[in-house]
Amino acid sequence: MPFLPIAGFQGSDLPEALGWKTVADPYGDEELYAVPRLQPDWAVIHVPEADAEGNARIYGTPFWDRLMTRGARRVIVTAETIVTREHLAAQPELTAIPELFVAAVVHAPGGGWPGSCFPLYEVDYAAAGAYAAMPTDAECLDRHLTVTAPRDRGQTSADVTVVYSGSDAG
Amino acid sequence: MIASPEWQPVDLLVICMARLLRDDELVFHGVNSILPMVAVALARRHHAPRLRAINIAGGVNPLPRYLPRSTTDAELTYGSPALLSNEEIYDLCMRGGLDTVFLGAAQVDGAGRTNVSRIGPAERPKVKLPGGGGAAVMMPTAGRVIVSRAEHSRRSFVERLDAVTGAGNVDRVVTSRCVFRRVDGRLRVESVHPTSSAEEVLSETGFALDTSAPWPGTPPPTAAELEALAAVDPERVRDLERR
Repeated sequence: MPFLPIAGFQGSDLPEALGWKTVADPYGDEELYAVPRLQPDWAVIHVPEADAEGNARIYGTPFWDRLMTRGARRVIVTAETIVTREHLAAQPELTAIPELFVAAVVHAPGGGWPGSCFPLYEVDYAAAGAYAAMPTDAECLDRHLTVTAPRDRGQTSADVTVVYSGSDAG
Repeated sequence: MIASPEWQPVDLLVICMARLLRDDELVFHGVNSILPMVAVALARRHHAPRLRAINIAGGVNPLPRYLPRSTTDAELTYGSPALLSNEEIYDLCMRGGLDTVFLGAAQVDGAGRTNVSRIGPAERPKVKLPGGGGAAVMMPTAGRVIVSRAEHSRRSFVERLDAVTGAGNVDRVVTSRCVFRRVDGRLRVESVHPTSSAEEVLSETGFALDTSAPWPGTPPPTAAELEALAAVDPERVRDLERR
Protein backbone atom coordinates (compact mmCIF):
# COMPACT_ATOMS: atom_id res chain seq x y z
CA MET A 1 0.00 0.00 0.00
CA PRO A 2 1.56 3.32 -1.03
CA PHE A 3 -0.71 5.35 1.30
CA LEU A 4 -3.60 5.19 3.73
CA PRO A 5 -6.39 7.72 4.16
CA ILE A 6 -6.59 9.25 7.62
CA ALA A 7 -9.12 11.39 9.49
CA GLY A 8 -8.16 14.63 11.17
CA PHE A 9 -5.32 17.07 10.38
CA GLN A 10 -7.74 19.79 9.23
CA GLY A 11 -6.34 23.20 10.16
CA SER A 12 -2.87 21.84 10.88
CA ASP A 13 0.30 23.05 9.17
CA LEU A 14 1.69 19.51 9.18
CA PRO A 15 0.20 18.14 5.92
CA GLU A 16 1.65 21.01 3.90
CA ALA A 17 5.00 20.81 5.70
CA LEU A 18 5.11 17.08 5.00
CA GLY A 19 3.92 17.39 1.41
CA TRP A 20 0.80 15.30 1.95
CA LYS A 21 -1.90 15.18 -0.68
CA THR A 22 -5.60 14.50 -0.26
CA VAL A 23 -7.88 11.85 -1.73
CA ALA A 24 -11.62 12.07 -2.31
CA ASP A 25 -13.84 9.59 -0.48
CA PRO A 26 -15.12 7.47 -3.42
CA TYR A 27 -18.38 6.84 -1.50
CA GLY A 28 -19.04 10.32 -0.16
CA ASP A 29 -18.05 13.96 -0.31
CA GLU A 30 -15.22 14.02 2.18
CA GLU A 31 -11.65 14.93 1.32
CA LEU A 32 -9.12 12.98 3.37
CA TYR A 33 -5.37 13.25 3.78
CA ALA A 34 -3.46 10.35 2.23
CA VAL A 35 -0.54 9.48 4.48
CA PRO A 36 2.39 8.16 2.45
CA ARG A 37 3.96 4.83 3.34
CA LEU A 38 6.73 4.96 5.91
CA GLN A 39 9.11 2.03 5.56
CA PRO A 40 12.23 1.94 7.74
CA ASP A 41 15.02 -0.34 6.53
CA TRP A 42 15.41 -1.82 9.99
CA ALA A 43 13.49 -2.04 13.24
CA VAL A 44 15.36 -3.09 16.38
CA ILE A 45 12.93 -4.25 19.03
CA HIS A 46 13.84 -5.26 22.57
CA VAL A 47 11.55 -7.86 24.16
CA PRO A 48 11.43 -9.89 27.37
CA GLU A 49 11.13 -13.26 25.61
CA ALA A 50 12.00 -14.55 22.15
CA ASP A 51 12.83 -17.94 20.73
CA ALA A 52 15.81 -18.60 18.47
CA GLU A 53 13.72 -17.99 15.36
CA GLY A 54 12.61 -14.54 16.50
CA ASN A 55 9.07 -15.26 17.69
CA ALA A 56 8.68 -12.77 20.51
CA ARG A 57 6.38 -11.82 23.34
CA ILE A 58 6.01 -8.28 24.58
CA TYR A 59 4.54 -8.01 28.05
CA GLY A 60 2.94 -4.85 29.31
CA THR A 61 2.03 -2.04 26.96
CA PRO A 62 1.23 -2.71 23.29
CA PHE A 63 3.21 0.25 22.05
CA TRP A 64 4.63 0.99 18.62
CA ASP A 65 6.97 -2.02 18.70
CA ARG A 66 4.44 -4.29 17.05
CA LEU A 67 3.64 -1.73 14.34
CA MET A 68 7.31 -1.14 13.57
CA THR A 69 7.89 -4.84 12.99
CA ARG A 70 5.18 -4.71 10.32
CA GLY A 71 6.50 -1.51 8.75
CA ALA A 72 10.23 -2.19 8.56
CA ARG A 73 11.89 -4.13 5.77
CA ARG A 74 13.89 -6.19 8.25
CA VAL A 75 13.69 -6.69 12.01
CA ILE A 76 16.29 -7.43 14.68
CA VAL A 77 14.87 -8.78 17.92
CA THR A 78 16.94 -8.37 21.09
CA ALA A 79 15.71 -10.40 24.04
CA GLU A 80 16.16 -10.62 27.78
CA THR A 81 15.62 -14.38 27.65
CA ILE A 82 15.73 -16.94 24.86
CA VAL A 83 12.82 -19.31 25.37
CA THR A 84 11.75 -22.50 23.64
CA ARG A 85 9.42 -22.65 20.69
CA GLU A 86 7.14 -24.86 22.81
CA HIS A 87 6.83 -22.13 25.45
CA LEU A 88 5.52 -19.70 22.81
CA ALA A 89 3.40 -22.28 21.02
CA ALA A 90 1.54 -23.00 24.27
CA GLN A 91 -0.09 -19.56 23.93
CA PRO A 92 0.55 -18.28 20.41
CA GLU A 93 -1.89 -15.39 20.89
CA LEU A 94 0.70 -13.78 23.18
CA THR A 95 3.32 -13.69 20.42
CA ALA A 96 3.53 -10.10 19.21
CA ILE A 97 6.24 -10.64 16.61
CA PRO A 98 6.15 -13.75 14.40
CA GLU A 99 9.36 -15.31 13.07
CA LEU A 100 8.29 -14.46 9.53
CA PHE A 101 9.44 -10.85 9.92
CA VAL A 102 12.64 -11.39 11.89
CA ALA A 103 16.14 -11.28 10.36
CA ALA A 104 18.19 -11.77 13.53
CA VAL A 105 17.82 -12.53 17.23
CA VAL A 106 20.25 -11.24 19.86
CA HIS A 107 20.35 -12.46 23.45
CA ALA A 108 20.81 -9.14 25.26
CA PRO A 109 19.94 -9.21 28.97
CA GLY A 110 19.42 -5.65 30.20
CA GLY A 111 19.24 -4.49 26.59
CA GLY A 112 16.44 -2.05 27.28
CA TRP A 113 18.45 -0.09 29.86
CA PRO A 114 18.31 2.81 30.67
CA GLY A 115 14.77 2.40 29.37
CA SER A 116 12.40 -0.15 30.81
CA CYS A 117 11.52 -3.72 29.93
CA PHE A 118 8.23 -4.61 31.53
CA PRO A 119 7.87 -6.41 33.88
CA LEU A 120 11.58 -6.98 34.52
CA TYR A 121 12.84 -3.48 35.16
CA GLU A 122 11.66 0.11 35.12
CA VAL A 123 13.21 3.20 33.58
CA ASP A 124 16.55 4.10 35.21
CA TYR A 125 15.84 7.82 35.39
CA ALA A 126 19.25 8.71 36.85
CA ALA A 127 21.08 6.92 34.04
CA ALA A 128 18.76 8.31 31.37
CA GLY A 129 19.34 11.82 32.72
CA ALA A 130 23.11 11.32 32.71
CA TYR A 131 22.94 10.03 29.15
CA ALA A 132 20.88 13.01 28.02
CA ALA A 133 23.26 15.43 29.74
CA MET A 134 26.39 13.80 28.32
CA PRO A 135 28.48 16.25 26.25
CA THR A 136 28.14 15.33 22.58
CA ASP A 137 31.76 15.47 21.54
CA ALA A 138 33.75 13.07 19.34
CA GLU A 139 34.32 10.64 22.23
CA CYS A 140 30.76 10.47 23.53
CA LEU A 141 29.93 7.13 21.91
CA ASP A 142 33.13 5.51 23.23
CA ARG A 143 32.36 6.89 26.68
CA HIS A 144 28.85 5.51 26.53
CA LEU A 145 30.08 2.08 25.46
CA THR A 146 32.65 2.04 28.27
CA VAL A 147 29.95 2.81 30.77
CA THR A 148 27.53 0.24 29.43
CA ALA A 149 30.01 -2.58 28.69
CA PRO A 150 29.86 -4.09 32.19
CA ARG A 151 26.07 -4.31 31.89
CA ASP A 152 26.43 -6.10 28.57
CA ARG A 153 28.55 -8.69 30.36
CA GLY A 154 25.62 -9.44 32.59
CA GLN A 155 26.37 -7.24 35.59
CA THR A 156 23.39 -5.62 37.21
CA SER A 157 22.79 -1.96 37.84
CA ALA A 158 24.05 -2.41 41.39
CA ASP A 159 27.49 -3.26 39.98
CA VAL A 160 27.64 -0.37 37.58
CA THR A 161 27.99 3.25 38.52
CA VAL A 162 26.94 5.49 35.70
CA VAL A 163 29.53 8.23 35.37
CA TYR A 164 30.18 9.92 32.07
CA SER A 165 33.63 11.34 32.72
CA GLY A 166 34.16 14.94 31.75
CA SER A 167 30.57 15.71 32.64
CA ASP A 168 29.16 16.86 35.92
CA ALA A 169 25.82 15.32 35.04
CA GLY A 170 26.35 12.34 37.36
CA MET B 1 -4.10 36.08 47.14
CA ILE B 2 -1.36 33.49 47.42
CA ALA B 3 -1.80 29.74 47.68
CA SER B 4 -2.74 28.63 51.15
CA PRO B 5 -0.36 26.25 52.91
CA GLU B 6 -2.79 23.47 52.08
CA TRP B 7 -2.45 23.71 48.32
CA GLN B 8 -0.22 24.85 45.48
CA PRO B 9 -1.20 26.45 42.14
CA VAL B 10 -0.57 23.16 40.34
CA ASP B 11 -3.07 21.47 42.68
CA LEU B 12 -5.85 23.81 41.60
CA LEU B 13 -4.82 23.37 37.95
CA VAL B 14 -5.27 19.60 38.24
CA ILE B 15 -8.51 20.03 40.20
CA CYS B 16 -9.91 22.33 37.47
CA MET B 17 -9.10 19.66 34.87
CA ALA B 18 -10.76 16.96 36.99
CA ARG B 19 -13.89 19.09 37.54
CA LEU B 20 -14.50 19.00 33.78
CA LEU B 21 -14.79 15.19 33.76
CA ARG B 22 -18.09 13.39 34.19
CA ASP B 23 -19.31 9.86 34.89
CA ASP B 24 -19.70 7.63 31.82
CA GLU B 25 -17.79 9.78 29.37
CA LEU B 26 -14.67 8.25 27.76
CA VAL B 27 -11.49 10.20 28.37
CA PHE B 28 -8.03 9.71 26.88
CA HIS B 29 -4.56 11.05 27.60
CA GLY B 30 -1.31 10.48 25.73
CA VAL B 31 2.43 10.72 26.31
CA ASN B 32 4.05 13.36 28.50
CA SER B 33 0.69 13.99 30.20
CA ILE B 34 1.38 14.05 33.92
CA LEU B 35 -1.39 16.56 34.75
CA PRO B 36 -4.08 14.73 32.73
CA MET B 37 -3.07 11.43 34.34
CA VAL B 38 -3.47 12.93 37.81
CA ALA B 39 -6.74 14.67 36.83
CA VAL B 40 -8.28 11.41 35.58
CA ALA B 41 -7.31 9.57 38.77
CA LEU B 42 -8.65 12.46 40.86
CA ALA B 43 -11.98 12.64 39.02
CA ARG B 44 -12.52 8.90 39.34
CA ARG B 45 -11.87 9.07 43.06
CA HIS B 46 -13.64 12.32 43.87
CA HIS B 47 -16.81 12.65 41.78
CA ALA B 48 -16.81 10.43 38.68
CA PRO B 49 -16.23 6.80 39.71
CA ARG B 50 -17.81 5.61 36.44
CA LEU B 51 -15.56 7.80 34.29
CA ARG B 52 -14.24 5.56 31.52
CA ALA B 53 -10.55 6.14 30.95
CA ILE B 54 -8.00 4.93 28.43
CA ASN B 55 -4.39 6.00 28.02
CA ILE B 56 -1.55 5.76 25.53
CA ALA B 57 0.08 2.99 27.56
CA GLY B 58 -2.91 0.87 26.51
CA GLY B 59 -4.77 0.88 29.81
CA VAL B 60 -8.55 0.45 29.78
CA ASN B 61 -10.13 1.63 33.04
CA PRO B 62 -6.90 0.77 34.83
CA LEU B 63 -6.32 0.79 38.57
CA PRO B 64 -2.66 1.84 38.84
CA ARG B 65 -1.14 1.19 42.26
CA TYR B 66 0.80 4.45 42.00
CA LEU B 67 1.10 7.25 39.45
CA PRO B 68 4.31 6.82 37.41
CA ARG B 69 6.63 9.60 36.27
CA SER B 70 6.08 8.70 32.63
CA THR B 71 2.58 8.44 31.20
CA THR B 72 3.71 5.64 28.89
CA ASP B 73 4.59 3.50 31.91
CA ALA B 74 3.06 0.01 31.95
CA GLU B 75 1.79 0.77 35.47
CA LEU B 76 -0.99 2.69 33.70
CA THR B 77 -2.29 -0.65 32.43
CA TYR B 78 -2.33 -2.26 35.89
CA GLY B 79 -5.73 -3.73 36.67
CA SER B 80 -6.96 -3.24 33.09
CA PRO B 81 -9.26 -6.02 31.92
CA ALA B 82 -8.08 -5.34 28.36
CA LEU B 83 -5.46 -3.37 26.47
CA LEU B 84 -5.87 -1.05 23.50
CA SER B 85 -3.00 -0.68 21.05
CA ASN B 86 -2.06 2.76 19.77
CA GLU B 87 -3.54 2.14 16.35
CA GLU B 88 -6.82 1.10 17.96
CA ILE B 89 -6.90 4.28 20.05
CA TYR B 90 -6.39 6.44 16.96
CA ASP B 91 -9.02 4.48 15.04
CA LEU B 92 -11.42 4.96 17.94
CA CYS B 93 -10.85 8.72 17.94
CA MET B 94 -11.14 8.99 14.15
CA ARG B 95 -14.52 7.29 14.20
CA GLY B 96 -15.79 9.66 16.87
CA GLY B 97 -15.49 7.34 19.85
CA LEU B 98 -13.47 9.53 22.22
CA ASP B 99 -15.54 12.00 24.22
CA THR B 100 -12.70 13.92 25.81
CA VAL B 101 -9.01 14.11 24.91
CA PHE B 102 -6.36 15.84 27.01
CA LEU B 103 -3.55 17.51 25.08
CA GLY B 104 -0.62 19.69 25.99
CA ALA B 105 0.87 22.60 24.06
CA ALA B 106 4.01 24.67 23.86
CA GLN B 107 2.03 27.55 22.36
CA VAL B 108 -1.70 28.32 22.27
CA ASP B 109 -3.36 31.05 20.23
CA GLY B 110 -6.62 32.94 20.71
CA ALA B 111 -8.52 30.42 18.59
CA GLY B 112 -7.36 27.59 20.85
CA ARG B 113 -5.03 26.18 18.24
CA THR B 114 -1.80 24.61 19.48
CA ASN B 115 1.85 24.30 18.53
CA VAL B 116 3.94 21.35 19.64
CA SER B 117 6.10 21.31 16.50
CA ARG B 118 8.75 24.02 16.71
CA ILE B 119 9.74 27.43 18.05
CA GLY B 120 11.11 29.76 15.41
CA PRO B 121 10.83 29.77 11.63
CA ALA B 122 10.48 26.51 9.65
CA GLU B 123 13.79 26.99 7.85
CA ARG B 124 15.79 27.62 11.02
CA PRO B 125 13.83 26.55 14.10
CA LYS B 126 15.25 27.65 17.44
CA VAL B 127 13.75 24.60 19.16
CA LYS B 128 12.40 21.46 17.59
CA LEU B 129 9.57 20.24 19.82
CA PRO B 130 8.51 16.58 20.17
CA GLY B 131 5.78 17.00 17.55
CA GLY B 132 2.17 16.07 17.69
CA GLY B 133 0.61 13.40 15.53
CA GLY B 134 -1.88 13.02 18.34
CA ALA B 135 -2.89 16.66 18.33
CA ALA B 136 -3.38 16.89 14.57
CA VAL B 137 -5.52 13.75 14.40
CA MET B 138 -7.38 14.13 17.65
CA MET B 139 -8.17 17.84 17.80
CA PRO B 140 -10.56 17.73 14.83
CA THR B 141 -11.96 14.25 15.59
CA ALA B 142 -12.38 14.06 19.39
CA GLY B 143 -15.68 15.09 20.96
CA ARG B 144 -13.89 17.78 22.91
CA VAL B 145 -10.31 18.60 23.76
CA ILE B 146 -9.00 19.97 27.04
CA VAL B 147 -5.58 21.58 26.70
CA SER B 148 -3.48 22.00 29.80
CA ARG B 149 -0.36 24.04 30.27
CA ALA B 150 0.98 25.11 33.68
CA GLU B 151 3.20 27.90 32.42
CA HIS B 152 1.05 30.86 31.36
CA SER B 153 3.02 33.72 29.83
CA ARG B 154 3.23 35.71 26.60
CA ARG B 155 5.91 33.23 25.53
CA SER B 156 3.31 30.45 25.30
CA PHE B 157 -0.05 32.25 24.93
CA VAL B 158 0.61 34.03 21.68
CA GLU B 159 -1.14 36.08 19.04
CA ARG B 160 0.52 34.02 16.32
CA LEU B 161 1.75 30.42 16.57
CA ASP B 162 5.18 29.59 15.14
CA ALA B 163 3.47 26.53 13.62
CA VAL B 164 -0.08 25.19 13.79
CA THR B 165 0.19 21.58 14.91
CA GLY B 166 -3.41 21.03 15.92
CA ALA B 167 -6.71 22.84 15.41
CA GLY B 168 -10.23 21.75 16.19
CA ASN B 169 -12.54 20.89 19.02
CA VAL B 170 -10.76 22.62 21.88
CA ASP B 171 -13.28 23.25 24.64
CA ARG B 172 -11.12 24.43 27.54
CA VAL B 173 -7.54 25.52 28.10
CA VAL B 174 -6.46 25.22 31.73
CA THR B 175 -3.37 27.04 33.02
CA SER B 176 -1.83 27.94 36.37
CA ARG B 177 -3.53 31.36 36.13
CA CYS B 178 -7.00 30.73 34.70
CA VAL B 179 -9.41 28.54 32.76
CA PHE B 180 -10.18 29.55 29.17
CA ARG B 181 -13.34 28.35 27.44
CA ARG B 182 -13.63 28.38 23.67
CA VAL B 183 -16.82 30.14 22.57
CA ASP B 184 -17.58 30.89 18.91
CA GLY B 185 -14.05 29.93 17.96
CA ARG B 186 -12.31 32.28 20.44
CA LEU B 187 -10.79 31.62 23.85
CA ARG B 188 -12.52 33.56 26.62
CA VAL B 189 -11.52 33.66 30.26
CA GLU B 190 -14.00 31.48 32.14
CA SER B 191 -12.48 31.97 35.57
CA VAL B 192 -9.33 33.36 37.18
CA HIS B 193 -7.60 31.34 39.88
CA PRO B 194 -7.37 32.88 43.36
CA THR B 195 -3.57 32.61 43.09
CA SER B 196 -3.62 34.98 40.10
CA SER B 197 -5.56 38.08 39.04
CA ALA B 198 -7.34 39.53 36.04
CA GLU B 199 -4.46 42.02 35.60
CA GLU B 200 -1.94 39.20 35.57
CA VAL B 201 -3.96 37.13 33.05
CA LEU B 202 -4.23 40.17 30.79
CA SER B 203 -0.54 41.06 30.99
CA GLU B 204 0.65 37.46 30.56
CA THR B 205 -1.61 36.60 27.60
CA GLY B 206 -0.39 37.53 24.14
CA PHE B 207 -3.75 37.36 22.33
CA ALA B 208 -6.71 39.70 22.73
CA LEU B 209 -9.26 38.86 25.44
CA ASP B 210 -12.88 39.88 25.86
CA THR B 211 -13.01 42.16 28.89
CA SER B 212 -16.56 43.42 28.38
CA ALA B 213 -17.73 41.57 31.51
CA PRO B 214 -15.78 40.93 34.72
CA TRP B 215 -14.21 37.48 34.96
CA PRO B 216 -15.39 35.28 37.82
CA GLY B 217 -12.95 33.66 40.22
CA THR B 218 -12.16 29.94 40.11
CA PRO B 219 -13.65 28.25 43.18
CA PRO B 220 -10.70 27.26 45.38
CA PRO B 221 -10.12 23.57 46.08
CA THR B 222 -12.56 22.00 48.50
CA ALA B 223 -11.38 19.92 51.41
CA ALA B 224 -12.77 16.82 49.70
CA GLU B 225 -10.92 17.60 46.48
CA LEU B 226 -7.63 18.11 48.32
CA GLU B 227 -8.14 14.91 50.27
CA ALA B 228 -8.81 12.92 47.08
CA LEU B 229 -5.81 14.54 45.38
CA ALA B 230 -3.53 13.61 48.28
CA ALA B 231 -4.85 10.06 48.10
CA VAL B 232 -4.28 9.55 44.36
CA ASP B 233 -0.97 11.45 44.14
CA PRO B 234 0.72 11.27 47.54
CA GLU B 235 4.18 11.54 45.96
CA ARG B 236 3.18 14.76 44.13
CA VAL B 237 4.09 13.45 40.68
CA ARG B 238 2.17 16.51 39.45
CA ASP B 239 5.08 18.72 40.52
CA LEU B 240 7.08 17.27 37.59
CA GLU B 241 5.06 19.45 35.22
CA ARG B 242 7.27 22.29 34.08
CA ARG B 243 6.11 25.73 35.06
